[in-house]
Order: sequence, then structure tokens, then C-alpha cells
Amino acid sequence: MNLGSLAGLLSGTIMYGTPLLYLTLGEIIGQRAGMVNLGLEGIMLVGASVAFAVSVETGNLWLGIGAAALAGAAFNLLYAYLAVSRGANQLASGLALMFFGIGISSMIGRPYVGQGTVGLQRFQLPGVTSIPGVSATMFNYDAIVYLAVPLAFLIWVALFRTRWGLSLRAVGESPSAAFAAGRRIGWIRYQAALACGLLAGIAGAHLSIALARTWTEGMTGGRGFIAVALVIFSKWHPLRAIVGALVFGGAVTLELQLQAQGVGVSPFLLNMLPYVLTLGVLLIWSGARRYSAPGALGRVYQGEE
Amino acid sequence: MRIRAGGRWTLAIVLIVSALMGGAAYAQSNLVIGMLLPGTKNDAGYNQSFYDALQQVERDLPGVRTILAEYVTDAEAESTMELMIAQGARLIFASGFALQYPAIAVAARHPDVVFMHPGGWEVRPNFSNYFATTQLHFYIMGVAAGLMTETNQIGFVAGMPLGFTLGNVNGFHLGARSVNPDVTTRLMLTFSWGDTTKEAAAAQALLDAGVDVISMHLDSPIAVIQTVEAAGAKTIGFMSLDARRYAPNGWITGLGFTWGDYFTQSARAVMDGTWRTGFIRRGLAEGFLEIAPFGDAVPEDVREAVLAVAEDFKAGRIDPFTGPIRDQRGEVRIAEGEVWGNEKMGDFDWLVEGIVGEPQ
Repeated sequence: MNLGSLAGLLSGTIMYGTPLLYLTLGEIIGQRAGMVNLGLEGIMLVGASVAFAVSVETGNLWLGIGAAALAGAAFNLLYAYLAVSRGANQLASGLALMFFGIGISSMIGRPYVGQGTVGLQRFQLPGVTSIPGVSATMFNYDAIVYLAVPLAFLIWVALFRTRWGLSLRAVGESPSAAFAAGRRIGWIRYQAALACGLLAGIAGAHLSIALARTWTEGMTGGRGFIAVALVIFSKWHPLRAIVGALVFGGAVTLELQLQAQGVGVSPFLLNMLPYVLTLGVLLIWSGARRYSAPGALGRVYQGEE
Repeated sequence: MRIRAGGRWTLAIVLIVSALMGGAAYAQSNLVIGMLLPGTKNDAGYNQSFYDALQQVERDLPGVRTILAEYVTDAEAESTMELMIAQGARLIFASGFALQYPAIAVAARHPDVVFMHPGGWEVRPNFSNYFATTQLHFYIMGVAAGLMTETNQIGFVAGMPLGFTLGNVNGFHLGARSVNPDVTTRLMLTFSWGDTTKEAAAAQALLDAGVDVISMHLDSPIAVIQTVEAAGAKTIGFMSLDARRYAPNGWITGLGFTWGDYFTQSARAVMDGTWRTGFIRRGLAEGFLEIAPFGDAVPEDVREAVLAVAEDFKAGRIDPFTGPIRDQRGEVRIAEGEVWGNEKMGDFDWLVEGIVGEPQ
């Protein structure tokens, strides 16, 4: 492996780990409030199509990202309405959201198929190039990438160091106890769903206007489900989600770098690498009791008698 | 995963309304043509090449009526074709690789309707197969790549390792080798035809490995072309002739489908009753393919060399798959003096020596 490929492995890991981190953080907030959302794929597609459409129409990529975040949040309200207000099964609501998202995103994106965009501007943080031994090309990312890790810290603080986070986690652990303590279960879950949709929308925007720089139907390719697995891997902890996203982003990049190097391993096997790695990590990490799933995860809160 | 948005209902409503207006009587004097596409008509790639041809038929033969169905999945292909036939269609372009067997099933029920399918292998009395010999003509693209590379590393991003796709890579590599014996071709597979994010990453991995000219066989070339362009490297396009606009600096040339004349001829033959079935594979000489305009960065001597090879193809002076050709393990796959026939273009399960990548 040459130096270029090693640098590529590092930067690819960070670039392709980023949308997964936004997704995983969103799902962590939702699941901490007791909601499993399998509709991430759909929200992400809505975000990707809206971001692309708005940035093509306005010529402003940041407007595209903002619109994608709002669209993602609004779209996830549908899930919240089903799963919280109507007391529907969370898994079914999530899957319905996914299929709806596939359909509506293909409608939104339809006039924009076959178009490209300049892509979100990449830049270097000041001072990085002056560090000895660091290649300039290795640290050239867009703003969404730079904001990802600070965001994970912010969410960690919000969840574990604020009253709001305490209420949210209480709702996820034991809605009855939280209700008895005077918390409004539905309202808190709606807030979590909004945050989740917002982040998944940004993740979709990153795919369509920073990574692929085009819109294609179903372009998320299952990343929404990988994020659900990464939530389990990260044990519902925002900081560990950084590791999870990097491991998966790294595995995808490694698969491609190995192919480019011609390692003589069947690409069919290499293509499985990220998923095998995810399985392996889940197996190894699943033993410890600490940070296990929120107590009321997946359960519909029917209110108190 | 593809879900079509509204196409089916629009089609159904159009069909019902025009049936009420006596469309069947109208159809006797004027040909009705149906076209099924697996994707959308404006994808700047595979689907668009067929739609462009259908539009040419409409221009060439006034009075012909066309019915278009986009995003047709394999499962609903048969019922879509039946609806078109009920609507008077006598010629159906089932323009998707996976639509071969659904079209044959409908063809068996309607011997008076003509079906034409791209890229398959089956032939029936009213079902013909046609495609362009892209595997052969990728040789010309290889010549361009071999002359333009400065690192002697060229790359190819593909979806699935289908025989047809591996053949394109083999042709590309043989062409590059013919003008540049030091060239290495690196093949990347993404295991999807439409995961554009992974396609961009695959192109980036090739660039990281030192590749400076990249071609592709994907649904849409845009993600790869833009990634290559942003890195200051060079692109060779496939399927769509106007993909050039995504690479104002790095565009070399490309291989595009031009089905229009053939579709018009076929429609006319159906109207005259002279249409005959067949297994048809044609190339540059017969107008199934065209070489895209060169990019500004391509020097005059390279243009001349590429066009000279193209002339050799048109005159039938060259067959890239003429033995002896060895695979990556040094085994002779095409013996001295033999050629790999057109009917075997989908049968490649091996890569020519000098290609880095695994065929399976």
C-alpha cells in the first residue's frame, strides 16, 4: 500500500463515517426516549433529495442542508404521530415511514436525476498543515465533517448533564415513573423525534451534496439500518457512537482500498467486510451490562389509568 | 430498491381514457409503440439512451403514437405490456436487461406483436435481441486512456461483475495495452448499480492508488466523473454522450449508445410487415455506438490515433479479442488465431492479464 492509499484510508474513514455518525446520534436520542425508529432510511432519503433539490434551485448548499434538516424533522413527526400519539407499534411505524420516504424522495428528486453539483466546499482547519508529518490532503473536509465530533459531545452533555436529558432518559427507562415525576411523556418523545429527524436529514444531505454529489433513487443503500446496529454497538452512548461510525466507515473504505490494491481476495468477500466487522464487534461488545438498552425501548406508552 | 412514483397510475388512466375514445380503431392505421424502462428517462445514462431513440422515432415517423412506462419492475412488466397491447401497441421496446423473460412470456401470448429487447440472448419469432458491441469498442476507449495516462495506471468502476461488464474491462485494457505496454488497469466493483456514494468512494480509492484515467459501467456516471474531476484526473464516459459537462477539464472521450436510426428502421419494418427477428449485435459502423467529442485537454496526436482505431473498427479491420490472449493467471483463454465471438460477450468470467482486480 502506498502513502496515497494510506492517507485515502484515513480520510475515507472520516468522510464516510460522518453521515453514519449523524444518523446514529439521531437514533440514540430517539431510543434514549424509548423509541426504536426503523424509518431512518426514509428520513435520510427525504433529506438527501430535499438538500439536492434546494441547493440546485437556489445555488446555495447551506440552504440545502438547512432545508434537509427541517424536512427530516418534519417527516419524522409522522412517525411520532403514529408511535406516540396514536400508540402504534414502533417497528411497523418505522417501516411504514421508510417506504413512504423512498416514494416521496423519488418524487422530490425526479426532476433532478442526472444532475450534478459542485459539492460542499472542503477546507483545512488553520494550523493543521504546520504540524510536522501531516499531509495537507489528509485533513481537508467539509464543515459537516468538522462539526460531527463536537456535536457528539454536545449531545452527550445534553443527555447526561442537563435536566432535559434526565427527563428524556427517564421517559425511555420508565415512562410511568417519569409521568409520576410530572414529566409530559408525549411532548418529550416528540422533541426526541424532532431531533432524530433533524440529524437524519443532515446525514442525507451530506450524502447527496458532499459525498456522491448527485441524486439517485434509493441512494442511501441501507445506511439507515447500519445506524440502528451502530446504536446497539455504541450502547446508546453518543461518544461511543463516534467509534462505531469510524469502524464502519473504515471498513467500507478498507474494502475499496484493498480492491484498488488488488489483494487477490474475492470482491464478494470484501463487500461483506463492513457487515462481518459489525457483527463481530456486536458479539464482542454485547456482554457488559453497563449502558444496556433503555428499559422501555420499543414499548408503547398507553398513559396512566 | 425502486419504487415508481405515480407512473403506473398515470399510465393506467391514459390507457383507460384513450380506450374509451376508440384508440383501438386508430391503431390500425398508425403504429403504436410501447416502451418500458427500468429507470427514469432522464438519467443521463442507460435509460435515457433508449428514450432519446424513441423521441427520434416520433420525429422520423409522424403519426406513430408512443406509450412510455418508467420505473417498471420485473414483477409488473408483464401487466404493463398487456396494458400497452390492449391499447393497440404492435411494437414493444422492453428496454431493460431483466425484462427479457417477461417480454418472452407476453410475446408467446401475442404472436402479432413485435418485441425488441436489448442485451439478452433469447430469440423468438416475434422477439428479437439487439445490443451494441461495447466490449469490442471499449478497445478504442482503452487506446485513448493508454495514451493519456501519465502514471500508467488506469481504472474502471463497475457495479456487478457480469460477463458483459468484465468484457468491457477486458476490451478497455487490451486497447490501452496496444498503445502503452506498461499500463495497469485496476477494476473496482461496488456491488450495486446505483449506490452513488460508494461509487464516489471507489473512484477516490483508485485515485489514491495512483490511477489518473477512469472509466465506468454504472447506471449513472455522474458521481465517478465529478470525483475524478475534483481530483484533477481524467474521465472516459460510457452510455451517455453528454456526460462531458461534468468534466469540463478532465474529459477525454466516451462511448455512447445511438439507437435512434435502428428504432426508426424497425418501426418502419413493423408497419410494412417486413420485420424479421434475430440476434443482432452491431457497433460503430452500423450506428449503434458513437465516439463522444474529445475534451479540450486531449492533444491532436491522441485524437488522430483514437480516430484511426475507430476507422479500423468501422472497416472491420480489427477484432480486439483475437488470440492469443491470456488471463490474469497466465492461462491462454483465446488461442492463437481464434476470436471470442459476439455471442459469447456475456460469458466472460475472467480478466485479461495486467488487470488488477478479481472477476469473481
